[in-house]
Amino acid sequence: MDITPDVIKSLFNLLIFPGFTFLLFCSWVFDWLDRKIIARFQGRVGPPWYQPVADFIKLLGKEDVMPTGSQTFVALLLPVISLASVLTAGLYVPVAGYAALSFEGDFIVVLFLLGIPTLAYFLAGWVSVGVYSILGGNRSLLQYFSYEVPFLLALSGPAIMGGSWQIGRIVSVQNTSGWFLFFQPLGFVLALIGLIGKLKRDPLDIPKAKSEILAGPLTEFTGRKLALWHMTINMQTVVGIFLLVNLFLGNAQALHDIFGVLMFTVQVLIIVSLLSTASSLFARLRIDQLAEFGWKILVPLSLVQLAFIILMGV
Amino acid sequence: MMTKLKIPIGPHHPLLKEPISFLLTVEGERVLESSMRLGYVHRGIERLCQERTYVQAVHLIERICGICSHVHSTTYCHAVETLLGLEVPLRAHYIRALLCELERIHSHLLWLGVLAKNIGLDTVFMYTWRDREIVLDIMEDLSGGRVSHAINVIGGVKIDLDHKMMDIIIEKLEELAPKLTIALGLFENEPTVRLRTQSIGVITKEEAARHCVVGPIARASGVDIDVRRDIPRPPYDGLEFNVITHTAGDVWARTLVRIRETRESHRLIQQIVSQLPSGDIVVKAKRRVPPGEVVCRFEAPRGELFYYIRSDGSNQPARIKIRTPTLPALSTLPEQLRDVNLADAPVILSGVDLCIACADR
Repeated sequence: MDITPDVIKSLFNLLIFPGFTFLLFCSWVFDWLDRKIIARFQGRVGPPWYQPVADFIKLLGKEDVMPTGSQTFVALLLPVISLASVLTAGLYVPVAGYAALSFEGDFIVVLFLLGIPTLAYFLAGWVSVGVYSILGGNRSLLQYFSYEVPFLLALSGPAIMGGSWQIGRIVSVQNTSGWFLFFQPLGFVLALIGLIGKLKRDPLDIPKAKSEILAGPLTEFTGRKLALWHMTINMQTVVGIFLLVNLFLGNAQALHDIFGVLMFTVQVLIIVSLLSTASSLFARLRIDQLAEFGWKILVPLSLVQLAFIILMGV
Repeated sequence: MMTKLKIPIGPHHPLLKEPISFLLTVEGERVLESSMRLGYVHRGIERLCQERTYVQAVHLIERICGICSHVHSTTYCHAVETLLGLEVPLRAHYIRALLCELERIHSHLLWLGVLAKNIGLDTVFMYTWRDREIVLDIMEDLSGGRVSHAINVIGGVKIDLDHKMMDIIIEKLEELAPKLTIALGLFENEPTVRLRTQSIGVITKEEAARHCVVGPIARASGVDIDVRRDIPRPPYDGLEFNVITHTAGDVWARTLVRIRETRESHRLIQQIVSQLPSGDIVVKAKRRVPPGEVVCRFEAPRGELFYYIRSDGSNQPARIKIRTPTLPALSTLPEQLRDVNLADAPVILSGVDLCIACADR
């Protein structure tokens, strides 16, 4: 194969921007910001900026053991698959208006790819035989059924308003119409709640509730596998936040526009701090309370939001 | 058909601060039944006391618990003083009560933090444990120790209060008061907190009476008992305070009872400091205790603390029996942990405020 400019560009997209390196960097920055903000809310000092990197390196150096009877190969495969799907999703989500790949329908592909880690998370509980892991796995599936429907309904709002299933086009429509946040604030809040559920963050960290089932499905994971899982979940956070910014606060200024980049950064940081605020404000729900909350409150609300968009006139 | 799983909680678990072991039989998310294992921190303190003199035992008794150490040694000293027929100076009683009330604030705030942590509200955990430092600082200024104060001797107390110290106490507790109000408001109104604690771990008034539950748990179930009021003794007979009760009997009610008790303790401390009588703080006690037996009860942060001492006329106690308030609380757990949601088990366990070191001794 010849090394053409196309190949170099693809490799750059895959490995540097907006691929692996960029997402990894962002995941560390967001992780640190999140921990720092929560610490400040709680009256603590918080970790230094290099803490996520140090944690990652420390985990890489740790012994990698699994309990007898667990399927070690599958346990290794699961974080790799989830990481791959999150990275692939990252290629389709525009960063400050620049997406590596794009086609009509990429929005659906991204949603599908972001769903894979949840499934892998559930399976991780099952292959690692511990009782806490199995319970955590069950809970993660139950949680999936509670938040995913309102999450998808809320995200389809921008798609309907933009008249396309292509993220890039949804973003560019907002250039003329204004941010979709103004037309569907309810949808934005629902999507944010759904994202918290998807990322299993406080207060919806039910599958890994520490005081009940230790670390949930990841209880038996150690060393490099655990590092991979943390990396996956942190990158999922990054991609999820980018997706939300694009759908509700889209601005299609290209990368060379400094103002566009700054705008995107500020928007992303606002969403990060919203997530941190939510995790320091509320107590953890019970899984049955979440199911009730999801189906009795979130789903009707998201339907109202959808009906509003459709009736307001596309 | 779901399979039954046996979930171990303890002896080491993020939920537990002290070693105790539960084995929950779980079907899906439902806890069917539970079994409990105790004794991980049994140190044989009662027996060890019987092999030492009355004076030496004070230091051993103080190490039964890491939270309510002072009330243990107070009860013990009071019991021995009763056997000796000593007239302890009033000032010593006031200083003992002052530390008892400080300890109550400290214990309740600590518990509040643990509960908040167990329902996933880490922010409140951090706040209450930060505010608890105010009380610990006062204790350190007063006696030099944050947990063990070594302030009690048979016949009185070792450390006296001066005016500077009194001002420090009043000043520092003024800092604490608004924070307690915030905590109370939060637990009364915050919807996610109420979702997690209301109608969880309910103990009815009848059940509380049947299990002989004491302290804030009993008071939250509507049983109006408090040794401080029921056995009028200096200084409490001269002080004004309310016994807080609630009727709901769930974890939420216990939370409110404890926070309000903390405010009552604050009021008590203000009165103690302002009414502190002058005079000696200690009288000389004989080494040999006349034969006889005595029962002494005090109100520990978790409820009634019971001491029985029998003397055979020597300088060593013939028998010491301690009954801590955690014991009846433990006996309610098998019933409380039947047919509940697994996610509620931590709330129930922290709701009864176990002190394993006290229970095991």
